[in-house]
Amino acid sequence: MPSLTLLGQAVVSGLLAGGLYGLLALGLSLSWGLLRLVNLSHFALALLGAYLTYQLGHVAHLAPWTAAALIVPVFFVVGMALHAVFARFRVTEFTSLLVTFGLAVILESVIQWFWTADYRRYETPWASASTRVGPLFVPTLELLACLTAATLALATWAWLRFTYVGKALRAAAEDPAMAGAFGVNHRAHAFVLSGISAAYAGVAGAFIALISTLAPAQIWVWLGTVFAVAIIGGLGHPVGALLAGFLIGVSESVTMAVAAPAWAPLVSFSILIALLVLRPERV
Amino acid sequence: MRPALGLVAAGLALATLPLAGLPAFYESFLYLVFHWVALATSWSLLSGYAGYFSFGHGAFFGAGMYTTATLTAGLGVPFLAALPVAAAVATLLSAGIGAVVFRIRRLRGELFGLLTLAITFVLATIVLNTRLDGGPGVYLSNVPLPRLVASPTGTFYLLALGLAVLTLGAAYAITRSRLGLGLFAIHDDEDVAEVEGVPTFAYKLAAFALSAGIAGIAGGIHAMYVSYVTVPDTFSITVPLYVVLMSVLGGSRHWLGPAVGAAIITASLYAFTGGQQAVIGRAVVAFALILVILLLPEGVVPAVLRRRRPRARAEPAAPARPATEARDAPGVTLECHDVWKAFGGIQALRGVSLHVAPGEIVGLVGPNGSGKTTLINVISGHYAADRGRIALGPVSLTGRAAHAIAGLGVSRTYQIPRPFAHFTALDNVALAATFGAARCAPAEARAEARQWLAFTGLGRRATALPHELNLHERKFLELARALAGRPRVLLLDEVLSGLNPGEITSAVELIRQIRARGVAILFVEHLMRAVLDLSDRVVVLNEGEVIATGTPSEAMRAARVVEVYLGRAHVA
Amino acid sequence: MVRGVVIAVVLLTVSVTAGAAPSGQPIRIGGTLALTGPLAPTALLHKIAGEVYVEELNKGNGLLGRPVEWVLLDDQSKPDLTRSLYEKLITVDKVDLLMGPYATSGILAAMTVAQRYNKIFPHHSFGMPHLAKYEMHFPTAAFGPEPNRTVPTTVFDALAATANPPKTVAILTSKFPSAQFQSSGAKEVAEKRGLKVVLYLEYEFGNRDWGALAARVKDANPDFLWIGVLGLDGNQMLEAMKKLDYTPPRHFHLFPAPGPLAVAPDAKNALSVTVFEEHPPFMNNAGAAKLVPIFRERAAKANVPYAHVETQAGGSFAAWQILEAAVNATKSLDDKTLAQWLRKNRVDTLIGKLRFDGPNNYGDDLFKVKQVQDGKWVVVWPREFAAPGARLLPP
Repeated sequence: MPSLTLLGQAVVSGLLAGGLYGLLALGLSLSWGLLRLVNLSHFALALLGAYLTYQLGHVAHLAPWTAAALIVPVFFVVGMALHAVFARFRVTEFTSLLVTFGLAVILESVIQWFWTADYRRYETPWASASTRVGPLFVPTLELLACLTAATLALATWAWLRFTYVGKALRAAAEDPAMAGAFGVNHRAHAFVLSGISAAYAGVAGAFIALISTLAPAQIWVWLGTVFAVAIIGGLGHPVGALLAGFLIGVSESVTMAVAAPAWAPLVSFSILIALLVLRPERV
Repeated sequence: MRPALGLVAAGLALATLPLAGLPAFYESFLYLVFHWVALATSWSLLSGYAGYFSFGHGAFFGAGMYTTATLTAGLGVPFLAALPVAAAVATLLSAGIGAVVFRIRRLRGELFGLLTLAITFVLATIVLNTRLDGGPGVYLSNVPLPRLVASPTGTFYLLALGLAVLTLGAAYAITRSRLGLGLFAIHDDEDVAEVEGVPTFAYKLAAFALSAGIAGIAGGIHAMYVSYVTVPDTFSITVPLYVVLMSVLGGSRHWLGPAVGAAIITASLYAFTGGQQAVIGRAVVAFALILVILLLPEGVVPAVLRRRRPRARAEPAAPARPATEARDAPGVTLECHDVWKAFGGIQALRGVSLHVAPGEIVGLVGPNGSGKTTLINVISGHYAADRGRIALGPVSLTGRAAHAIAGLGVSRTYQIPRPFAHFTALDNVALAATFGAARCAPAEARAEARQWLAFTGLGRRATALPHELNLHERKFLELARALAGRPRVLLLDEVLSGLNPGEITSAVELIRQIRARGVAILFVEHLMRAVLDLSDRVVVLNEGEVIATGTPSEAMRAARVVEVYLGRAHVA
Repeated sequence: MVRGVVIAVVLLTVSVTAGAAPSGQPIRIGGTLALTGPLAPTALLHKIAGEVYVEELNKGNGLLGRPVEWVLLDDQSKPDLTRSLYEKLITVDKVDLLMGPYATSGILAAMTVAQRYNKIFPHHSFGMPHLAKYEMHFPTAAFGPEPNRTVPTTVFDALAATANPPKTVAILTSKFPSAQFQSSGAKEVAEKRGLKVVLYLEYEFGNRDWGALAARVKDANPDFLWIGVLGLDGNQMLEAMKKLDYTPPRHFHLFPAPGPLAVAPDAKNALSVTVFEEHPPFMNNAGAAKLVPIFRERAAKANVPYAHVETQAGGSFAAWQILEAAVNATKSLDDKTLAQWLRKNRVDTLIGKLRFDGPNNYGDDLFKVKQVQDGKWVVVWPREFAAPGARLLPP
């Protein structure tokens, strides 16, 4: 029987891992749900953000938050530029898969060209820092990532819920023709959303650089789980993405703590299948 | 039939390739091409045609791989004998999933994709942690490869070629069959397809099972080809992702599209394998793919076909003769007895009873939310009644699926027209003729559809796509589609709303003609002039209850009706 | 293209200056490496090693007086592509000799092809000796026939020779085939030696949540932690444990990315195994003095973060060396002749003396124990191979 401390530690670890899933799923969910674009290159952008953070931090010795402050606005512009291409060629949900896949491969090549395929690790003093809470330890960087994810998710939710632009975006996603008839300028707002989505990839990237290790092919490692998180959270629902991240993270982490770790995906994805089949209306 | 002959001829010609004495590499390269052709084409059977976007093709592929690996390397079963088992395992797996999932209306679109992705993860975890693999991988070096031809590469080549040809043949046959027509309709609007008579559950299950079975065989052959089977390589994101990309590139709604996409992408994998340009090469290939899909968004094959054969095909003008009345089935009475239906806490129908006799028009009126459309949805089988009995003459409809009810001769229209978006007007109507009570063969259905288009005045719009039609044309298309099923009972949901007075007059005339054929018509309408004009009897619904019934003038004079329609103050 | 020019330029300068330049039709040696995809980080080292070796060969007398051309293709980390590319090398490019790809899956796929065409097949990174049944394959990942027994034995021998040997062991391994193979062997060896295995866990290859695993190790509190890692999993695991305010007293990493582990602040005294490090006595091995500096320079130029020769590059050099030795000794390019010679002779290589006369063409297990000391890897066991003055530092 595992000790309570072990269980508690597993829950903490799962919540924080889930926060990172949620952070990555956030931008994906927004562009998929509200623009009907499935952006496979979201992961590539995140990893590019991570490599840039590494480059600025490890090589140019900038603090990671300075690096992030430089990267995020640039990514916002990149996201808008991407949307210009999508809009110009009227990319649909279906074709967006191929376009963004191609983009992800190009970004992977760019990363490998500049940083080689070899592993990179951004060593910082915070990498192994944590705070003690009773018998449990809460790792600093993961907590920061999780809090950032929560802040961004809530802010995005409020933005979509309460501002004119947000409401217009949601209306356009539900019925583009109707929203257009009411004079909602969907196209301009879509640029903003695409920029935000890319900027979130940049934020996620900065945390990946600090928390994880880097290799170009890792673009594809996150795909399956983050896809699952984005969909189960409800596409276009920022808070849902975060909660779904927690669900997957905690169920995997607890399985790892009490049973054979390699069985972890079975538990988390069986829960997901059961939810889908038994409570489809809740998803 | 020309493409089918071409396919057989190409297959036979390619089968002689191992005799040509080419270097083995070409067989090996073409093996991979045909391997992906089979995978991508099989994926599109469900996901391309019916729009059920599966991210789980890797699960069936992997099931086939590990079935073969376990049987051959573990139990000594001959390789070729293991392949049918691989297909069976994958088929059973998909049928089991489909039998549960396809009953749940919410699990469409991305939720279906998520579910299939999750199943892939679960399957991979089970294989990784049990004796099927356990981690070290399964090595098939000692499994004898049967010699179809002298060289092993030739043997693999022929196996993959055979599978690809069979898969393409199946895809071609399906796109030309009732099954294919039904799947395309499911893609556009599954609920409508079911109500038009498409047995959606059975069709989805059939397409899913076939799709998975082919993936299982492809996996079975591939296990032998790579000869070392590991979980990370088998259940990686590659298979589910690549089949999607190939289908998008080639055009997933055309039987040949995914195959062309597969050939292009597999060949492009080889374009830059030279050690020095590998990294740049990948980027160049990716850039080329982006350009192709941006310029040809509907896919390579449809784009090429469109260029070769512009869409302004000369459709023969619709024959002027009216639809033959001799084939109409004998009339029958629709009867609803004490029908109840609730949604969550809202009681939409409270013991509704009514009947419509052959050749009778019954007007169903009531304020918004009174349950008129719900009643139509319950009669047509879209929703099951909680209680009560609905019958068509002696035949009970209670508990029957919507497509079965359509087959018995119940057709409906939708208040807001719901044509199949990718079908021409003609095909929209032909679908109903194929799956409704008329049960026409596909060729016959088109002739039948032409007549109904002419009958509703849409003869010249046969090749138009729904988005090219205006509202009144779409309303008439709804009507033509409902009639093409040769209904004995016709449920009309506000066919007149939104039409101008001239259009209303012609529509009213049409409905009279239909009634003259002995059809029982239940007519939901807000437009009182038309109701009073057309109806033999009127049934008034309020909050799910019948509050009055009788001739139009009787019903409309009933005190409660006046109260409901005009408010209490006027009564007093 | 660029490389072609480089070779041409090298050939030109050598022919002008030395006079003994190779001439005639080049001997073409074909192989693939995972230059892109998930295996690319390590395959890159094999690419640099191979390029360095071929250039050096051509600066000298080439092979049999002929220049050598390395036909290198990218298998994209995919075994099925690897297989058909080896078919291309043999049947279309018609290369004279083969060189193996990177890592177990690809090597098995390529070995099937080599076997069908009776080609001699040297390779440098194969982790599952019992699966390699082809009589003309020649492994230079010098694990010996039973690495699941011998490698853990070496490690536990090294630990037993310290002042306070561990009594309890926790084993954590990725389900990557070769790592799992040796780690499950480590469990048996440890139990046979009377050590208590307090925890044995297998995790999925590609795991991203280390917190729960770290908590379990901390809970078990072993004297010694064996991590069957690949790449950077070990770094992540150490960090995750450090976050729980826990550091295992001794920790061993099976196949780590050497650079990042050496410099990681939490990796003090980390243990691993190796066949080559850049210090004596290894630097006295055949070719080391010449090849190591060039490799370092080339790797640094290619922007590789850890530009040193160790197991990976060492194995790669050895694979080229045995091929060169066999060709030179037999004056032949005939696969059977070369294979026969290799099975009968010992070859001096950068990683030591290799022989191929044991089960499945495996010889001795040449792996030694190394430790991170002052941010550098040094061999500490067996004693005769230890870096000058180095010994296994106790916790």
